[in-house]
Amino acid sequence: MTSRRLVLGLAGAGLFAAALDAYVVVTLLPAMTGDVGVTIENFEQATPIVTGFLAGYVVAMPLLGAYSDARGRIPVFVACLAAFALGSVITATSGLWTFAGLPWMVAGRFVQGIGGGGLVPLALALAADLYRGRSRTIALGSVAGLQEAGSVLGPIYGATVSAAAAGAGGWRFVFWLNVPLAAACALGLLATARRVEGAAGVAASTIDWAGALLLGAGLGALVFALYPDDPEHRALNALFIPAGLIAVVLLAAYGWRQVRQLEPLIPRELLRSRAFIGVTAANVLIGAALIVTLVDVPILGRLVFNLEALDSGLLLTQFLVGVPFGAVAGGFLAARLGNRVTGAAGVVVSAIAFGQMSTWSANELSLHLGPIRQADVALALCGLGFGLVIAPLTAGVLALTRGESHGLATSLVVLARTMGMLVGLSALTAFGLYRFHQILGTPVVSDPDLRDRVKHLEQLIGAAFLQEYREIFLIAAGLCLVAAAIIAFALRPARTNGGT
Amino acid sequence: MALAACSGSQPTGDASKILRDAASAMAQLQTVTATLKVTKGAISIQGFTLVSARTSVRMPTDSDTVYTVKQKDVSFALEIVMVGGHVYEHIPFLPMREVTGAEAAAFPNMAKLFDPTTGFPAIIPAGTEKKYVAAEQLDGKPVDHVSTLYTPDQVRSLLAELNSSGPVAADIWARSSDHLIPKAVLDGDFGDGGTEAAVEVDISSFNATVNITSPSPSL
Repeated sequence: MTSRRLVLGLAGAGLFAAALDAYVVVTLLPAMTGDVGVTIENFEQATPIVTGFLAGYVVAMPLLGAYSDARGRIPVFVACLAAFALGSVITATSGLWTFAGLPWMVAGRFVQGIGGGGLVPLALALAADLYRGRSRTIALGSVAGLQEAGSVLGPIYGATVSAAAAGAGGWRFVFWLNVPLAAACALGLLATARRVEGAAGVAASTIDWAGALLLGAGLGALVFALYPDDPEHRALNALFIPAGLIAVVLLAAYGWRQVRQLEPLIPRELLRSRAFIGVTAANVLIGAALIVTLVDVPILGRLVFNLEALDSGLLLTQFLVGVPFGAVAGGFLAARLGNRVTGAAGVVVSAIAFGQMSTWSANELSLHLGPIRQADVALALCGLGFGLVIAPLTAGVLALTRGESHGLATSLVVLARTMGMLVGLSALTAFGLYRFHQILGTPVVSDPDLRDRVKHLEQLIGAAFLQEYREIFLIAAGLCLVAAAIIAFALRPARTNGGT
Repeated sequence: MALAACSGSQPTGDASKILRDAASAMAQLQTVTATLKVTKGAISIQGFTLVSARTSVRMPTDSDTVYTVKQKDVSFALEIVMVGGHVYEHIPFLPMREVTGAEAAAFPNMAKLFDPTTGFPAIIPAGTEKKYVAAEQLDGKPVDHVSTLYTPDQVRSLLAELNSSGPVAADIWARSSDHLIPKAVLDGDFGDGGTEAAVEVDISSFNATVNITSPSPSL
């Protein structure tokens, strides 16, 4: 193995570990929340465990990509791995002491997200630094593939490792495992990178710390505004208006700063492009719809279909396996049919799948299309649609940028999607929990035995959750259709939009 | 809870006296708050796996206890209010309702834990193999750390759910100033089916105001 391959392999391994952790919690949430004292009646409090990671991701991604341009890829990459490991330790120790409750866990996930989010543009930029020509395309594709593969395997990885390590900490072991993984990658990179030309990747650049702070604070305020502090009585936070206004002001200030700055975080030519704006908007909507599946399907599996953690992960795997298949097919089709048709068709496929999911019943898993479960077909189709859209949208943005900005451009595609996931999860959780309480109402349960009462209540809760998720799936279908329309409007009908 | 051993302290205290003084101090309590956390093994209550319990007690009979229990991986809070001779149950998402008869009797009355004749104060000094462990600091206050052993019957008389098949080791921290017990750890075969289990009990708000009210009649 050449040193270049070794460096990229180690970077890819670190990125893969972080990508695994992006969605690792979705099958572990019930156990994790229970250990920090969050009970079913306060389940909304679990939302920041997912959004905390995504928020860290969103803040780190644009900032650290540009930061590594100025400070060198390897030192920043190693720092990100250290942050990821630190966040993993904080998360793993949640609930072990009185002071290490839910805020501790959310803080851990946020730090993990900062480290993990930084690894995405850094690994892409490192691939671009190390390789030229066709090899670069393969290297970039491999890195992007690892990122997607990590997401694909995350939920099932979490459930499997947790089950296998039941006697060694269960869900905590999943996070402890990150420490040696990150350390091995970091030490390997430090040892080998010095010998490899291009691994340093240093270029003169200034860092817009203030811009990053505005973006982070703005998103934080937005997520807070959407946090359902009392879902029984209202869909939105009591401080929705002031927090929402603060978010608008901060994000507007960020936008204004980007337009005004001589060297903005996002290149100005991108900001002026209809295709970029369209692709970004579509990615935000796609991210919102995507997170619905990633988070809600395993929870649906646990609470409505009464599956164990591992089985709920397996249920989601049907969706996640569809994504890479779609991604490969999307690259192939985009080269022949163009980015516009392929991208729009992809999200329409997902919309159709969401439409079917919005009709799911409590016995959905017993319904089959031939030998295959109907639910699995819908989930696989949904994933396939999301996969189809990856290549056309990425290519659409890359076509607008020069080679030296490809790392940033590709990270912007992921960033927009992650931002959509963050805002989408926050908004749809707020809506969902409010609807859940509306649907459940004040149930009357009069069984004579306590266990029977609880069992009866579980059935009522399951029915309310099912109806809530049906409505959310319908909203996700709508988001996909809007994204399809935006893609059709924003991207040119040319075959590859200029190619990459 | 911050706990630190004083460096250089020698185990020279009189464990029996410390436990007697602690029992006398605990017998004087009118109100108290306690948190029990299962730190090892599994203990069931009413068929659910107990994670923790937090109780506010007003002597001699009133208590408001929130049991956090697990069903599969999902945790939920089950609240039992005992006030004025009535027992009320609150299951999440359901209105609070009064329970009676055998159903009401199935829930332990936490106020009895602090009863001077049958609860902690009576049991605390009755252990065997009492040892003074160390002078320590707990939450910035000096405490005496004592260990002792209780019989299965003694533990069962406190809480029927702690059905031990053997002796139970107890670590008790008693405040040096007023002899009250802010923390105790029990370790023994009192888990489900006589398996090994451990619980940590943190006691606070001694004689502070507690709010235990009867639910409104409409509920």
